[in-house]
Amino acid sequence: MRTLTEPFKIKMVEPLRITTEEYRQNALEKAGYNPFLLRSDDVFIDLLTDSGTGAMSDKQWGGIMMGDESYAGARSWEHLQTVVQNLTGMQYVLPTHQGRAAERILYSILGGKGKVFISNTHFDTTRANIEYVGSEAYDIVCKEAEDVESYHAFKGNIDLEKLETLIQQHGKNIAAIIMTVTNNSSGGQPVSMKNMKDVRAICTKYGLMMVIDGCRIAENSYYVKHREEGFENKTYKEIAQEMLNLGDAFIMSAKKDGMVNIGGLLTLKDEALSVKCKNLLIISEGFTTYGGLSGRDMEALAIGLEEVFDKDYLHYRIRSTAYLGEKLREKGIPVVWPIGGHAVYIDAKKLYQNVPLEEYPGQALVIDLYLKGGIRCVEVGSVMFGKYDENGKLIPAANELVRMALPRRVYTQSHLDYVLDVFDDIIEIKDRKKGFKITYEPPFLRHFTAHFEPIK
Amino acid sequence: MAKITKRSWAEPYRMKMVELLKVTTRPQRLKALKEAGFNTFLLPAEDVYIDLLTDSGTNAMSDQQWSAFMTGDEAYAGSKSYYRMEKTIQDYYGYKYIIPTHQGRGAEHLLSKIMIKKGDYVPGNMYFTTTRLHQELAGAKFVDVIIDEAHDPNNPFPFKGNVDINKLDALVKKVGASKIPYICVATNVNMAGGQPISLANLKELRKYTKKHGIKIIHDMTRVAENAYFIQQREKGYQNTKIKDIVKEICSLTDGATMSAKKDALVNIGGFLAINDWDIYEEARNLVVAYEGLHTYGGIAGRDMEAIAVGIVESLSDAHQKARVGQVEYLGAKMQEYGIPIVTPIGGHGIFVDAKAFLPHLTQDQFPAQTLAAEVYLDSGVRTMERGIVSAGRKPNGDNYYPNLELVRFTLPRRVYTQAHMDVVAESVAMVYENRTKIKGLKMIYEPKYLRFFQARFEQLK
Repeated sequence: MRTLTEPFKIKMVEPLRITTEEYRQNALEKAGYNPFLLRSDDVFIDLLTDSGTGAMSDKQWGGIMMGDESYAGARSWEHLQTVVQNLTGMQYVLPTHQGRAAERILYSILGGKGKVFISNTHFDTTRANIEYVGSEAYDIVCKEAEDVESYHAFKGNIDLEKLETLIQQHGKNIAAIIMTVTNNSSGGQPVSMKNMKDVRAICTKYGLMMVIDGCRIAENSYYVKHREEGFENKTYKEIAQEMLNLGDAFIMSAKKDGMVNIGGLLTLKDEALSVKCKNLLIISEGFTTYGGLSGRDMEALAIGLEEVFDKDYLHYRIRSTAYLGEKLREKGIPVVWPIGGHAVYIDAKKLYQNVPLEEYPGQALVIDLYLKGGIRCVEVGSVMFGKYDENGKLIPAANELVRMALPRRVYTQSHLDYVLDVFDDIIEIKDRKKGFKITYEPPFLRHFTAHFEPIK
Repeated sequence: MAKITKRSWAEPYRMKMVELLKVTTRPQRLKALKEAGFNTFLLPAEDVYIDLLTDSGTNAMSDQQWSAFMTGDEAYAGSKSYYRMEKTIQDYYGYKYIIPTHQGRGAEHLLSKIMIKKGDYVPGNMYFTTTRLHQELAGAKFVDVIIDEAHDPNNPFPFKGNVDINKLDALVKKVGASKIPYICVATNVNMAGGQPISLANLKELRKYTKKHGIKIIHDMTRVAENAYFIQQREKGYQNTKIKDIVKEICSLTDGATMSAKKDALVNIGGFLAINDWDIYEEARNLVVAYEGLHTYGGIAGRDMEAIAVGIVESLSDAHQKARVGQVEYLGAKMQEYGIPIVTPIGGHGIFVDAKAFLPHLTQDQFPAQTLAAEVYLDSGVRTMERGIVSAGRKPNGDNYYPNLELVRFTLPRRVYTQAHMDVVAESVAMVYENRTKIKGLKMIYEPKYLRFFQARFEQLK
């Protein structure tokens, strides 16, 4: 494995605090053993999310200073609109404060009681937004994704047969087909251009709307170029343009591949729908030319959306994640394979096989990683997606994963080596038998604010 | 009118960074105005010389804010910047629990969803566009309980933001206190022309609502400007610091929604503050679905830093004196030229009385919308309609016909100079000279909600 080649140097740093295990134990107790409730000050390496945690370039910071804060018709808005229209081939661009606002606006218009959304995999906030308006959300990722450890080039693909079947079943009640690229909840796995084209053809055949949730569209383009035939000579941007143009709508949390700390987008081809969406946008987000973002953030996003398609950047990005994942695998840690673009997913069910599913093995691993190394990551398993049956018994999620997401351009190779070292301590305690119980949980999206207690 | 001889409000800051402006010609502006459907909201900012559309998010930050901005912690959960903002709000406003939101309407949305049941009534000291809409969408009916003086643009009463307790009492008697989840009290009432509420009135209201078990929710976006007026006008507060008056105002209420884009001197951000744990807990669970996790609520860490510094700066007596002093300077200039404006002069802008300015137009010909277009055409100064277009339609589809038909000249904080103010006043004077030739407008496109943002117009022949 070659050393990472970083196509940048450091221009601004943010000091980190190193704490002791005893200190961290105390911090955990205060946070109800939920990493979302830890103070960031108490975290050494923060792999909780790649969302909004990236480092901007000097050029983006320059854009921040150039931001036009006019309430209506700002220059920065016009800049962003031009960039997004060029990227998506869609005419109507709505800025939002972040991705979930774009989802809420679009899905509350398309959805409603009795409506059905079908996706390769809905992300947690997406599902919450859909279910909140009384609609149903079906995940039908391809069969190859079920085996987390085997290689397949495009494990983010949707299962086309199941898609046809669901369309037959639900017919007119289908609100939209949502393609999440890359597929975050199934391990950051890419979707092939072929799969997207097939979905487009099905949507056209049945007159259905195709929504692309593309917050990691650039990372997906990397895989298409290197894994799918016929794209070797296209640029990453051309691939993204081709893919986005297949959709009727594009939703983006710009905090990922937009390379910014805040912002989102909703873009549409249909004018009538855009008018409805704009009405909702104004009520809850902001006027149509800022949507709840400052001018400077729109400027930074316009620049970020160009930088992200740089070939050296994308190579660095994908290789850094692979670096961490491949080295973990060499150590014998079970990881979702192949390694995805933005995160390494560890199979906690397999690593902590003595911890019963009702005691959340993923949560146990998350807590151990923080305790041993000050590393913060997130459970993507039964805490996030589990449900209860009528008797209050846990219906576990399909997988018990722990996600270590890499912020863009933030951590160095030696930070990653440190993370790898902490796993030596984890291997020593992998036979632990007890996990955690939930002592407080809100009615939805419980993983953000739930409290836990270790089972003695 | 007395000559202005004093310059005592000279700004307590100097310029450290400037933003270049484009100067346009009348034919260029006419073209831009036609393309924008005679709606100033739809003009590209580039074609605007002096932008008095709003004081919301258009402020100039200080070097202290910019430097705090650079230290923003962008962690998704538990950001240092959140704790700093939370502590500042607790220390300076006195509320217990804080939920950040991407801007004020995010907080209004959460609050309305949590506190309002279908069939409820929400009284308030005059409506505000987004506030009322969120109340209505949540199933409540808004009831205006502001004193009558507020609806008269020339009444000199010093506290035209006051609540008429008798009107509130009549509502309580009619529908019962249990149908009133809270009263929404705005400090410096925007739609009345930036008019303050007095502490005496607020204390009386607190006494009344306590008796009936009604919460007071404080729409606090311009609380510091309100506090300045209390210091200047209310007996017993001449020697009290603005920051102490602000704290006293907040202590008389149960919670607040804040658009930090006004008083707090930033470009983006807001919050919901509440003293009741149960409401906080519910808000914390809801915010993650709409705004973001409760320790960032959809704003960047750096913006929370800027808010924390901005709140402290906004409570300085010298800052508010210069802030309101600039508004008063512009107002006095306009009065010298005989322009009819709302008096007393408010905190964040000058409100020109379009009915008196263009008496030959009926309200259906949109006098305020017309005047805003004419001022832009004359000088590239952008203002906003606050009249029949902004008032919108009732749930049954009829137009609201507000008494006040105003054009708002809103001053961004710390952005424009005295010379800019002179240009503005002279431009309005020029339009006033030629006022009899001005024709009205007709609306050719009307969106369903908050129509003033996107409506399009044509000039009447």
